[in-house]
Order: sequence, then structure tokens, then C-alpha cells
Amino acid sequence: MFFHIVLERNMQLHPRYFGRNLRDNLVSKLMKDVEGTCSGRHGFVVAVTGIENVGKGLIRDGTGFVTFPVKYQCVVFRPFKGEILEAVVTMVNKMGFFAEAGPVQIFVSNHLIPDDMEFQSGDIPNYTTSDGSVKIQKDSEVRLKIIGTRVDATEIFCIGTIKDDFLGVINDPTAI
Amino acid sequence: MSGEEEENAAELKIGDEFLKAKCLMNCEVSLILQHKYEQLQQTSDDPMNQVSQVFEKSLQYVKRFSRYKNPDAVRQVREILARYQLAEFELCVLGNLCPETVEEAIAMVPSIKTRGRAQDDDAIEKMLTDLSLIKKFE
Repeated sequence: MFFHIVLERNMQLHPRYFGRNLRDNLVSKLMKDVEGTCSGRHGFVVAVTGIENVGKGLIRDGTGFVTFPVKYQCVVFRPFKGEILEAVVTMVNKMGFFAEAGPVQIFVSNHLIPDDMEFQSGDIPNYTTSDGSVKIQKDSEVRLKIIGTRVDATEIFCIGTIKDDFLGVINDPTAI
Repeated sequence: MSGEEEENAAELKIGDEFLKAKCLMNCEVSLILQHKYEQLQQTSDDPMNQVSQVFEKSLQYVKRFSRYKNPDAVRQVREILARYQLAEFELCVLGNLCPETVEEAIAMVPSIKTRGRAQDDDAIEKMLTDLSLIKKFE
């Protein structure tokens, strides 16, 4: 799920940026530093949307660098266990399939794909029901439930399931 | 937050910080990111080079999965859902997935029923019809 939250960060600024553009420099450095990063607690920082306030700077002894506490608003993407969302299938193999929901990767193991769907290898590997009415392949859109998350220093990885009511392929007109 | 193990969106256990935060539906995120992208386009020739991979992937994702495209419809969706005493998170799941039946809505957002609110099936039914009307008239 996407959230709009306020985060705080201490920004170190080199003295060469001091001047009337100090604030602009601070903001562009903030965007460069935080956009695209990921933390286990707040998830992926997608975009900075505004600055709440810039606190008083503190001069570092010996270096001349100044540290500013900056409060900023941003859009973050944070997946939660138990959350249901839609995702695009990116890769299918006999172990299961990978899907992407925005910046996050989700793996759905073949144990968590309904039992009536069988893996078919070939040019376009896919999972298909025995009557062929439902097919999961690359670029399919699926609705899945996140059942586990693993947090890395720079990435969040999720395990999902489509073995539940109202989950599964959604862009296939013959499904559901 | 009481630890990673306790986290469960189905019971609305998403940590205090996120429970109080403003949730965004995909269609809202799409408007925000699109706006930011257009701003970048004006200041540089190659905006795709300026943005992070996370931004690019998110933009593609929300464009693909936005149920409502026009800004007025997006605002209406939030107004309608706000009448039903939903938590921010529940509101956004419903706005994103647009369930068609009451059973589907409860399967998508189990916390609607478990939190002891007077959310009966009729109320949910009414909410879903209101939502589908916006979609129809968009």
C-alpha cells in the first residue's frame, strides 16, 4: 500500500552551498539522497512531495559541514503481511512465479497456486487449469495476498499466495 | 510497533505509525507521480534518467492499476468511502480493488467485520453500489 508520511533526516551540507540558494540545494540533495531508497520500517521512498520544515543547522567541529534536521513529506510503498493487492507477473517457472507490485517483488510458490493449475513448460512457460480456461503467464495481472515479508538492507521481498477466495488472474476475461 | 511477527493487515495490525498515516489509493498516487514527472520534464530533457528505478516502477504500476483516471472521480471515491467509518487502510484497499460483491469485499478487507463496528451487509452493499456508480459515470 502507498502511504503519505512525514519523515525526518539529518542532512549534511558542504559550506560551498551556503548562500541564498541554500534551501534549494538542501531540497535537491534530499531528493537525490532518499528517493529510491528502502528501509524495513518505512518501505520504499518513492517521491518527496514537500518540506515540512528545516531546523537550525549545527556546525560540525573541524569540518565546516553543517547538519540540518529536515522534516519532509513523501510517498512511500510499504507492503504488509495479510495485505491483498494486484501485481504483474514477471517470470514463471516450475517452482512458482514472480510478480511485481510497484517496486516490490513477490514470489508465489507452486504450493500456493491452486492445485488444479499445472505448470506447462515451453516457449511461454505458464500455469494453466486442466480445462485451459485460466492461464498465468508473463504479463498476466493477478490479485494476490502477501503472507510473508523479508526485509533486506536495501530491499523488501514478499511471499504471496493466490490460493484463497477471490484471488488469482484478473486480466483474463474468462476468469472469475 | 510491537514487532514484525504481529503484523497482519487483515486484522489491521500495521503498526501505529502507518495506521495514523495517510494512505493513498493507486489512483491518487498516479496523480501525484504524474505531476512530479511532468515537472521534471520541464526542467530536463531526459526525465527518465533523473528518476529512480523505484519511481519509474511505481509510476508504471499505478498507471496500470488505477481504477479511476479523472481527478474528480478520485476525490469522489474518497468522499464516499469516508462516510463509512473505515480506517484509512481499509478505505484504500477497497478503492484499489473495487470488489463487486459483499462477500468479495469482506474477503478483501476482513477487518471490516471483526472490529465490532455496525458495518452490516446492507451498508457494505450500498457502499459498493455507490462506488460502481462513480466508475460508470466517469
